[in-house]
Amino acid sequence: MEKTVLVPTDFSIASLNIVKSYLNEQDRNTRINIVLLHGMHQSDSITNLLFFSKSKVLESLTNPAFEEALRVLKNKYASQVRIMRKDIFTGFTQAAFNQFAEANRIDEVCLPILYNPQFKNRNSFDLLPFIKASKLNIITIGSAIEVPMPEKGNVAELFTNRVSMG
Amino acid sequence: MKIQVKTMLILLTAFLTIILLFSGFVYLSVSNYSYEDFYKLLEIRAVTAAKVELDQDEGAAQAGIKDLRNEFFEKLPQEQDRFFRISPGESFAEEAKTIGIPVSFFNNVLSDGKAEFSKNGMFYKAIRYKSKQGEYVVVASAQNYFELHHSAYLRRTLVFAIIAAFLFSALIALYFAKFVFRPLRKITDSVKEISSENLHLRLDQTKSNDELAELTRTFNNMLDRIETSFETQNNFVSNASHELRTPLTAIIGEADVTLSKVRKTEEYIETITVILDEAEKLDRKTKALLFLAQTGFNGKSQKFDKVRIDQLLWDVKETIEKINPRSNIHIDMSLLPENPSKLKVKGNEQLLHLALSNIISNACKYSDYKVVHVSIGASDQNVFVIIKDQGIGIPDSELKYIYDPFFRASNTLKYEGYGIGLPLTRNIIRLHQGEIIVSSIMQQGTTVQINLPVGQYEL
Repeated sequence: MEKTVLVPTDFSIASLNIVKSYLNEQDRNTRINIVLLHGMHQSDSITNLLFFSKSKVLESLTNPAFEEALRVLKNKYASQVRIMRKDIFTGFTQAAFNQFAEANRIDEVCLPILYNPQFKNRNSFDLLPFIKASKLNIITIGSAIEVPMPEKGNVAELFTNRVSMG
Repeated sequence: MKIQVKTMLILLTAFLTIILLFSGFVYLSVSNYSYEDFYKLLEIRAVTAAKVELDQDEGAAQAGIKDLRNEFFEKLPQEQDRFFRISPGESFAEEAKTIGIPVSFFNNVLSDGKAEFSKNGMFYKAIRYKSKQGEYVVVASAQNYFELHHSAYLRRTLVFAIIAAFLFSALIALYFAKFVFRPLRKITDSVKEISSENLHLRLDQTKSNDELAELTRTFNNMLDRIETSFETQNNFVSNASHELRTPLTAIIGEADVTLSKVRKTEEYIETITVILDEAEKLDRKTKALLFLAQTGFNGKSQKFDKVRIDQLLWDVKETIEKINPRSNIHIDMSLLPENPSKLKVKGNEQLLHLALSNIISNACKYSDYKVVHVSIGASDQNVFVIIKDQGIGIPDSELKYIYDPFFRASNTLKYEGYGIGLPLTRNIIRLHQGEIIVSSIMQQGTTVQINLPVGQYEL
């Protein structure tokens, strides 16, 4: 079996914790594709559109700790995860989002109970309204209890069992 | 001789050779061209003169040429046209003598139809001319104007140009030599500043990837190692003397008190038991110190080999639990990579054991033996060991001093310790090109993250 799951991300390690606990609950024999999706309004100036490069935008959004943590996850679930990729959604409408989900064959969306993404870029936007309004299957994980965490922002954050975003 | 000077001289020689070759070529080709040009000019003169002087009876055309000649032919310095009739069997030896040119010149004209000769700036061109009266040798001669003026001017210009170019290239060479060797001099200067008193200083590292950046990196690595062994030596001595003195004081005190008066046998037995206990403690400590010295930085036993971090962690857990049975260590393997080769690190097992047991026993100690979570994971570049406790934490303002030897945070007074473990650990991790990140919240807990580069061993 194979399925594709969408996880909204703010490129914090907390958002990878969601992926981690989602993967923990999955059946060992299911091959999983993960799309880490970030909502970002695109500037509509001609030059920006002309020189738009998704990889560059993604590069500017991520940080080394996130990349390292991502690789830790990939190594852990090497046989279970088929593809884990980052993507940005630049659309404005629900239809655009639905289309994105369909084009990427998204089967379900994974959300934490505590969801409060922190965006570093001012063009970023929350994907939650789109996700809620789409007919995608939403899986909620984590708990509503806050746990104190000194290691915020380090790769170490991935190793805690707190699942929330923000 | 300094390399800087050498480079400059080499550059200068190269510049100068090129300039000299270039100007020599220009001078030779220009003068060569001008000679040829002048001979051509003389030839035209000779032909015109012959036409005017020898072909007397052609009327109008003749007059036209004469007019042209008078009007447009500029008079050359000491221009002279001479005509000699060729009569078979007669040589021109006498004529040659009067003009002052060799006879071979005339012979050449007779055989080839043309001849050229120059002497002291006078140029001679002779042609064979067939007119109605018979065959003539026409000799046109003049002083070369170019030879007189142009070539001197060209020489002067070239000499000035060479001097200017030389100065210019000297400047460039000087600047270039300075520019190339500036970073080297900078490195030398900053290395001079580093002595045993300020071993913590490092050279500025640039982001570029050139040879000099590599040199700087190598220097800094070397300094890391030197500093580590320096600190270890220092720490070791103070640590050792302190550790050894405590049981000795107890032994001396006990013996002193007992000897102050005659005691009962039971009391003697008790005293000697205490002394034996303390002596055994002393023995254990000496052994531990000896071990530390052996695994330490004496250069011989410090071998780097492949170490599997997960195994090491289990070893560390066992050791700590043996030393202090109250410790509660939970090793979390939930993010263990599927590929075990990612857990292999190039390192010294004893040193890494020391480092990890330092951190983990600290975590146990400062959390009053609450559970300590030790997690392990690996990306493609790094192995991560995360040690998380729920202890007293480190005050924010003191977090930057934790790697100073003998520093102890203000909230650690009721715990025993010397402030040596963490600097030692940091040095060991540094020695393995790793990184240690400590983050903490007061009264909530501390998380230590250790990154060690993966050894890239095949399975």
